[in-house]
Amino acid sequence: MIKEAFGKGVAILEGLGTVFKHVFEKPVTVQFPEEFKPFAERFKGRHELKRYENGLEKCIGCALCAAACPADAIWVEAEENTDEERYSPGERYAKTYEINMLRCIFCGYCEDACPTEAIVLEKHYELSFTDRRDAIYTKEMLLVPPPEGQEDTPRKVEPGSFDRSIPVMEDPK
Amino acid sequence: MTHILLRELDIPDIGKMEVYLANGGYDGLKKALSDHQPDDVINIVRESGLRGRGGAGFPAGVKWSFVPKDVFPKYVCVNADESEPGTFKDRQLMENNPHQLIEGALICAYAIQASAVYIYIRGEYWDIADHLDRKIAEARKKGFIGKNILKSGWDCEVYTHRGAGAYICGEETALLESLEGKRGQPRLRPPFPASEGLYAKPTVINNVETLSNVPYILVNGADAYREIGEGDSPGTKIFCLSGCVNKPGNYELPFGGETTFRKLIFEMGGGIPDGKQIKAILPAGASAAILPATDEVLDTPIVYGAFRAWGTDIGSASVIVLDEMVDIAWAAKKMINFFSHESCGQCTPCREGTYWLSRLYKRMDSGQADAGDIQTMDAVAAQMEGKCICALGEFAVNPVRATIKHFPEDYERAVGNGRLSRR
Amino acid sequence: MADTVKITIDDIEHEVPAGMNLIDAAKLCGVDIPVFCYHPKLGHDGNCRMCLVELGLPRKNRETGEMELAWFPKLETACTQKTCEGMAIRTTTERVTDARRAVLEFLLSSHPLDCPICDKGGECPLQNLTMAHGPGTSRMYWEDRMHLGKHVALGELIFLDQERCIHCARCIRFQEKIALDPVLGFDMRGRKQQIVTSSTPGFNSIFSGNTTDICPVGALTTADFRFNARPWEMVQVATICSHCPVGCNMSFDTRTDRLAGGRTTIRRVMPRQNEAVNEIWICDKGRFARHYMEHEERLTTPLVRKGGMLVEATWEEAIREVAAQLKAAGPNIGAVAGGRLSNEDLYALQKLIRGQGSGDLSAYLPNATGGEIAARFGVGVGTNLKYLGAGDAIVVVASDLHEEAPIWWLRAAAAARRGAELIVISGRETRLDVEASQSIRCAYGAEVATLNAMLGSLPKTAVKAGESLDGMAEAIVHAKEFTADAALKAAAKTIAGAGNAVIFVGSEGLTGEASRELAQASANLLAATGHVGRANNGLIIVWPSANGQGAADMGFDPGFGPGYQPVDKPGRSYGDIFAALADDVIKVLVIAGADPVYDDLTAEESIRKTKGFIVVQEMFLTETAKLADVVLPVQSAAECEGTYTSGERRVQRFYPAVEPLGESLPAWLITQRIGEVLGQGAPSVSAAVLLAEIGRNVPQYAGITCQTLAKVEEQFPDVGGEDLYYGGTSFQNVRGLGVQWPTLAEQVDAPLSVAPAQAGEVLEPADGEMIVVPVTLVYDTEALFFKTQLLHQRVPLPHIGLNPADAGRLDMVDGDLVSLTIDDHRVAAAAYLDERVPSGVVTIPRRLQTQGAPLFATTAPVVKLEKVEA
Repeated sequence: MIKEAFGKGVAILEGLGTVFKHVFEKPVTVQFPEEFKPFAERFKGRHELKRYENGLEKCIGCALCAAACPADAIWVEAEENTDEERYSPGERYAKTYEINMLRCIFCGYCEDACPTEAIVLEKHYELSFTDRRDAIYTKEMLLVPPPEGQEDTPRKVEPGSFDRSIPVMEDPK
Repeated sequence: MTHILLRELDIPDIGKMEVYLANGGYDGLKKALSDHQPDDVINIVRESGLRGRGGAGFPAGVKWSFVPKDVFPKYVCVNADESEPGTFKDRQLMENNPHQLIEGALICAYAIQASAVYIYIRGEYWDIADHLDRKIAEARKKGFIGKNILKSGWDCEVYTHRGAGAYICGEETALLESLEGKRGQPRLRPPFPASEGLYAKPTVINNVETLSNVPYILVNGADAYREIGEGDSPGTKIFCLSGCVNKPGNYELPFGGETTFRKLIFEMGGGIPDGKQIKAILPAGASAAILPATDEVLDTPIVYGAFRAWGTDIGSASVIVLDEMVDIAWAAKKMINFFSHESCGQCTPCREGTYWLSRLYKRMDSGQADAGDIQTMDAVAAQMEGKCICALGEFAVNPVRATIKHFPEDYERAVGNGRLSRR
Repeated sequence: MADTVKITIDDIEHEVPAGMNLIDAAKLCGVDIPVFCYHPKLGHDGNCRMCLVELGLPRKNRETGEMELAWFPKLETACTQKTCEGMAIRTTTERVTDARRAVLEFLLSSHPLDCPICDKGGECPLQNLTMAHGPGTSRMYWEDRMHLGKHVALGELIFLDQERCIHCARCIRFQEKIALDPVLGFDMRGRKQQIVTSSTPGFNSIFSGNTTDICPVGALTTADFRFNARPWEMVQVATICSHCPVGCNMSFDTRTDRLAGGRTTIRRVMPRQNEAVNEIWICDKGRFARHYMEHEERLTTPLVRKGGMLVEATWEEAIREVAAQLKAAGPNIGAVAGGRLSNEDLYALQKLIRGQGSGDLSAYLPNATGGEIAARFGVGVGTNLKYLGAGDAIVVVASDLHEEAPIWWLRAAAAARRGAELIVISGRETRLDVEASQSIRCAYGAEVATLNAMLGSLPKTAVKAGESLDGMAEAIVHAKEFTADAALKAAAKTIAGAGNAVIFVGSEGLTGEASRELAQASANLLAATGHVGRANNGLIIVWPSANGQGAADMGFDPGFGPGYQPVDKPGRSYGDIFAALADDVIKVLVIAGADPVYDDLTAEESIRKTKGFIVVQEMFLTETAKLADVVLPVQSAAECEGTYTSGERRVQRFYPAVEPLGESLPAWLITQRIGEVLGQGAPSVSAAVLLAEIGRNVPQYAGITCQTLAKVEEQFPDVGGEDLYYGGTSFQNVRGLGVQWPTLAEQVDAPLSVAPAQAGEVLEPADGEMIVVPVTLVYDTEALFFKTQLLHQRVPLPHIGLNPADAGRLDMVDGDLVSLTIDDHRVAAAAYLDERVPSGVVTIPRRLQTQGAPLFATTAPVVKLEKVEA
């Protein structure tokens, strides 16, 4: 009987021991949204449309991302650049660029497909919507702001300053 | 030796009609018309073993015999678009001994029963074209050209036509296209010109030098002609000697026997200037593969096919001598730039390959090339080989592959160094 | 089947037709030999060197005397070989694959690799073949590439990207061999070689768009597809061209468009293969004129005239109004229907009008008639102009095919080049005369007499085939009254001796009655010489619109009911309808898909004068619609479905491609809703149901259903398949080849008869007058077509054609402003001196003048107004 009571006492102490051990351990949870967990190197979050250092858009509106997308989440419509209204260094830019974040499965195929490294899955993941329509991210929402000191697109450029059909892969001057 | 072709060396005014006639001129034509049926003429030329002097060395009589008998009209085209770098033999023949060419062409025309002879002259020879026109007028006045020639009942006209300065128009089918007023681009074969040539009618195309041999054969007979020269290569050949020699010029020598590059360069050409050593020989301008000037090469009797072991032939025999100061990669660059400039652009390997090679040589010249680029050059040239429509693309391979094979040290020196030049 | 030979491909023996191109033969055997420059329609050129194979031919061994296979030392181009017994090729050896890799490396060495933005990217033969046979990388330094012009305009329709061009010369060869407009060529040589145009304006050919289809790279692109969509994003919807009676099979390539508010829009028009109709070609009008369909001026709601103004109304209101007017008018109603309407639209409309007891139905333009003659003596089932060649005859009478039916022109010219006798009989020289073996000029109005004279000139033995036909004896007796000169006799002899003979019956300078007689004269000639009732023989009427044949079939002909069934009382003809309208005898006139006010001065006068009620079914507020009392907006051919019947009597189906614009409805539905109010029964559920009803009531259409129209057969050469080598982007036909309905002549024991063709009067102009002949141009200012801005540059300025001799007599020079007074109307236009216009004749291009012109040939004094300073 005593032996039995003793045994139970040990078990309780053992249990408490586990509890106290964890009291002093570093917690695994973080204080979201004040705190963020560190991102894995290859974390794939919400997309961004990148720019060159000179502020021109990298996207050329080729729609290969849309073609690669297994969830059919991307919609691209292209237009032609003019020297009056230039968005990207080549002949063509994306007039419409939309990603339906409800459809997106964040697989990163679009990033792989992109010939100009324009679309990149970044680290943002706080996506919440109250309306399905809000889940469609437009080009304005996806496009990063131009680098410090650079003019936004579209911009007027000297005729003949961009004569290649697609930009050369490194940042154009 | 008496000359068969460069007869002005023996008889100074042979270009004049009366001198030419006095020295047996137009006897060949007269003999052909009076003594022989057209087929007999073809047989005589075939028996003589006369080979085309334009470069390919195809037996002329055999070529004539391919012409169908029952299709009319037929044409003879004289290829006087002498544009291989280093050739200047046709020019001398047309300037100094034009009647022999006209006579030869007429005999050929009679043999295939052609109704017209077209002499396609390169545009730069405009003065020679004028000269020939005058000589043709002389011959017409004498009754050798026109209606009922020498009362034989056979009609034939002779015309000159000036090219517009394209190397490719020396290629026989491109020549025909150009003559028809189209873009000078080679045709696909078959059909061959012998069955569908000018205006889709049977046509014989021969080089100036080839046809200039014909009167001699008719007058003296096939056997007499065979006695000159050696074996499969009867007759004499005009060698256009140029480059690093003391006495460049045209030299007419019989095939085989004592005719070697050593005799040509050192005896006739007076050796290399400034006592330099001979390094290489381009036996047929830019088109044939380069020959390293070894003793074996220098002492080989020159006949068609003599240099097969070196992967080359004498072709049109425009011999360019290169001495020890010449950077062979520099010479190759010049040649490939020539081919790149002259490619007609019709078939892919030649159009793209010659351009690519010229860019690679440019890199080498500017010192940007690395060892891998020599391999690329060789590989690019190799993958052009055997894929082109005409010979231009195939010939463009030679300056690259043969020079890399025989003179790798010149290329290795150029890697990272650049500035290809004659040192 | 032609003779066959055995050839060995990759050690497997196949039996293939003898003398066939080796590439085509290999394809039949399931072996794809990659090509760039070769095209089955263009023949070989041998310039790309992509098709290199190892080739062996049987040769006699000189020593043993036995036949043995001798392999060529070099690789040979397969495209230049024709199949022969014992031929052997190897296509998979290392040498061959190395050669392909080498050629592709060469081609790509100068190619810009801007596939991501290239309009061809995704359907590009160069892309496909590079993936299949090419090297993974290039050894060429990127900076060594040649940079050339991008987006260089060859014309306003076609753009050239010089960097992408691989110099295959397909475009040049197409223009030279098929379009017969040799306006393209190469400039420079070697790597600097470029495509240039030699015409002014640039790329001046009405077939220019086809070069973009056959271009194996993205070098040639069209102006209206630039960055418009990626090929894989589009949905192809089968359609039929609605501009001329050829009935070219096309595809509308559609895609949803965010910028158009999420509507499906047509991104481009592509040919769809139908070897019996248009092969793989379409003309530029068919390709580029589509833009009217999405034009902002399209009508989207019904308009009803209130207080003298056309104001928007609801469908209920508009239909109630029309029905009330029709009811009140009783049988005093009529309809004029344009040939752009589908068979369903036309059937519904005639049913409505006939249901009210009127037979006043006219097709528009009313010049071409004779549908019932085509129904008896038209070309036989299975006719394909492609098969006409040496020993056959094609006659084109009173038509400028190049302008009226471009693809027929192209195919007739091709037949002539294959050796067919091409006989052109017309009042003036046309572009077809250049290809013709016999050109016969006759006075305008003397066409029937000419054909009669030809029939009359034939000896008894030559007309044996038609002897037994009812009325043939009388027809021949009648024909003998006409005298034939040597040229006509020769032409008649050619037709009589031809293996196959086809007559294209046009209507240039003819009235409706005269064109019916011309069709009869053609039928007599063909029937007499045995050229009816079988494939590749018979007549084809060159209708002035896409569905002229269908309109006649549906009973838009005063003499006939649907299917040429006899009617108790013939209706009024076109002229009589407008006369009756002017006199207020006709109280309601329905004008559907036609714009007579713009074309016809008399019609305009009648409509302005009448107190009657005018109902117009149209897409735009045309000149006619502006004068209407009710305008009902109809859907374009891209929005609804239906069928057209081509001039060769091939019923073909088009499918809805995009959402209807606004409240517009299919024309047949509008008509049937009106009929519903009038107690004619509920509207059909769909056009397909209506087609089934047509099949029950129009004997010729019996058995023609959506199912039969959708049937396809394998087409040769195979284009648009997986390989994409040949068609470029022309499409495989997967939605139906249509059904050609048989003529009476093809049916056994059919009651077939002919009748003498009555020659009309040849116009005799009085002193100071000339004959005015309206002619058709392919590009004009017609209400729909002219909405396409893209083609405006190709539309000539208003002009009249005048012979220089006449101009000299009238003291006029090119460009002078002249006026014609025609029946109290005055038409003014610049004079264009043209030697092809016969003396004593003035040609007026239809739908080009700033105001209406006569519909039929007439006489008028020519008065000079003033000189226009250049």
